[in-house]
Amino acid sequence: MKPMFLPEVENSPQPGGRGDMIRQMRNSRKEYPQIWHLFAYRPKATDLLGGFTQEIMRGESPLSPGLRELIAAYTSAGNHCPF
Amino acid sequence: MPHITLPEGLPGIRGPMAFRPETAKPLNELAEVLLRGPSTLTPGERELIATYVSSQNDCFFCQSIHGSVAAYHLGGNEQLVLDVKQNYQIAPVSAKLKALLAIAGKVQKGGKHVKAADIAKARQEGATDLEIHDTVLIAAAFSMYNRYVDGLATWQPDDPAMYRARGALTAQEGYGKTA
Repeated sequence: MKPMFLPEVENSPQPGGRGDMIRQMRNSRKEYPQIWHLFAYRPKATDLLGGFTQEIMRGESPLSPGLRELIAAYTSAGNHCPF
Repeated sequence: MPHITLPEGLPGIRGPMAFRPETAKPLNELAEVLLRGPSTLTPGERELIATYVSSQNDCFFCQSIHGSVAAYHLGGNEQLVLDVKQNYQIAPVSAKLKALLAIAGKVQKGGKHVKAADIAKARQEGATDLEIHDTVLIAAAFSMYNRYVDGLATWQPDDPAMYRARGALTAQEGYGKTA
């Protein structure tokens, strides 16, 4: 995988679920999406993004989760973010 | 007039946040961690980054309120906030903050505009990985807040005194309490 801009972000996952997932993939020499590093580096901030995403994507809403994911996928395509 | 019916009398982001408190909570908590949590960047510097991104996104409410919070943290220096918005390159701020503002400006245009040379420049001026990380996340989060505020055409009063007063209050009490 291409190295990220910030080695510290890549090399210092905090203890927790994401860090464990990263170690597991690394040990079995498998590729994984580097957004995991973003969520493992600064969980105090990014856990809140996770909570926000859970609420807006899966919380109570007249829009189905499928339709909401389509909106998210369409926006990400518009932003040229393949992941 | 807002595009949807929002609680009246709440300016900018506070309208939609009161409309949908479930999503407001993590958004406020994120602002609190990013702008006021433990960091080697001062709250004033972080508010300047948020204000600059908001002004590049042409979000009147966000640049006014965060500009006022920044000015309060910077000893009431409203001129410095103006200087950073107009041309941070010649503003009296540190070379490190200028390099971070350059990265923030590129994130505002789109994440892929940030190049290795921008990161190298920030490092050369003494920025740590954590400072660069937080700058990118502040710029990305504020681009979201800016679009949230303007995408719903929220009510945004003109009165500078309102922003000054509210900015001072936020600078003292933080973003912990939802609208």
